[in-house]
Amino acid sequence: MKNLNEIIILVITLTTITFPQTNDPDAILKKVLDSFNKVQDYEVNVNIKVDVDFLKVPDTEAKIYFKQPDKVHFESETFALLPREGFDFSPSALLKKKYTAFYVRQDTLDNIITSVVKVIPLGETDEVILSTLWIDKSQNVIRKMESTTKTNGTFAIELKYDLTNLNYPLPSMMIFSFNIDKTNIPMGFSGDLSTRSGKKKKDNKPTTAGKVYVSYSNYKVNIGIPDIFFESKKK
Amino acid sequence: MIFSLISIELSKIFRKWRTYIGFLAIAILVPIIQIAMLVEGEKSINFMTRNLQQSFIFVGNLLNGYLISYAILNALVVHIPFLITLVAGDLLAGEATAGTYRILVTRPVSRFKIVFSKFLGGFIYTNLLVLFLAVMSLGIGLLVFGVGELIVIKNVNILILSRTDVFWRFILAYGFATLSMTVVLALAFLFSSLVENAIGPIVSTMAIIIVFVIISALDIEFFQSIRPYLFTNYMQSWRSLFDDPIDIQDIIKSALVLISHVIFFFGATVFIFNKKDILS
Repeated sequence: MKNLNEIIILVITLTTITFPQTNDPDAILKKVLDSFNKVQDYEVNVNIKVDVDFLKVPDTEAKIYFKQPDKVHFESETFALLPREGFDFSPSALLKKKYTAFYVRQDTLDNIITSVVKVIPLGETDEVILSTLWIDKSQNVIRKMESTTKTNGTFAIELKYDLTNLNYPLPSMMIFSFNIDKTNIPMGFSGDLSTRSGKKKKDNKPTTAGKVYVSYSNYKVNIGIPDIFFESKKK
Repeated sequence: MIFSLISIELSKIFRKWRTYIGFLAIAILVPIIQIAMLVEGEKSINFMTRNLQQSFIFVGNLLNGYLISYAILNALVVHIPFLITLVAGDLLAGEATAGTYRILVTRPVSRFKIVFSKFLGGFIYTNLLVLFLAVMSLGIGLLVFGVGELIVIKNVNILILSRTDVFWRFILAYGFATLSMTVVLALAFLFSSLVENAIGPIVSTMAIIIVFVIISALDIEFFQSIRPYLFTNYMQSWRSLFDDPIDIQDIIKSALVLISHVIFFFGATVFIFNKKDILS
């Protein structure tokens, strides 16, 4: 895996030498981080909608608590499925570890001009080996992120903001896209063992694309959530 | 008249110790499954959903009373027929074994009423047994494990049903299970009218159910054309009640097939009993 990181760094370095960068990725990321650091903590209501073809889950209403830099607590009275990678995404969590960043290009995303920056975590224990960020420089927020992981393939996060109603760089919606392995779903003790319907599997593709839509509402920002709140919830 | 006949039949049924075997079996087996789930259930759920857990974090309680009841219903619906046949196989043949057939038919009651009251007695027993199963698995399950969302794994699909959307499905599922068991009752009752010993109807009914269930379960092309003609094929249709959306047409069709089997088996029993030369 170390070799893979080195190859990625080499390729991106060569690319940036060939096409000299006009933007400083570290400065862009620092502005995003500074902007996000205005938020010390928050509490928000979320609605989670899962869209995976072989999985049917009712929409979930829940509450997320966050405190800088990476404390997250999730509360729901009903069962909820949360994307393993990305549900606790925050710029500070992403950028708190050592990384190397490269400016790639300028791109337009939903009519918004963004700077595309690649971030390579330098720690060998990190699950994510490469992240590509689409950064809205006018608002200093991340609009999209694509990450490649060691074991769970690639996932993407699209973030939508309602910055007219909220003075903080917090998303109003997150769309989490991923590929999921659908093979070997076992017949468990609640499984349907009958073959009565005679229905065959629709296709034999081992993976399928999935999306999770998280809508955020009723943000309560900088309300002074104590650390002990997250520790007690962990227990 | 018919009510007193039914009450006589019920008193006959509940005076025999074999009637309580079914209740006893459920009273022992269901708590054993529940204890096993209490100990190993979490592990089983993790195993069932291991692929999903690579991509998702699970928050909430999937090991709940609904899941336990669903698992029990899945497991026992195949075995409960045996408990039904223990009583149903004895309803008519038991009279022959006890030597009371002749006394019974010499009373001023039509043979149809005798058969009908015996069948209704068996039907009440069947209902009570399924009701007991429901109370033991759903009632105790919800008390011990609490309420939660129900995870249902079907072929390659995973369905998670909201906790507010499950209870009514169970009520209908137990209702459908009762209908399925009534077919077993009617079949064993038919065999019971043919012989003079209860063992024959019990073994014959179970043999038919086992053969039909095996044919239904084997995913071989040859059996696919036979399957629609096996009543056991429709006995599992209660599972469709845990689909979303529910295939109502399929459930109605299955219910009609089962009801027509009950009518046919019962009609055949009445015909045979009316023609029967009572010698004992």
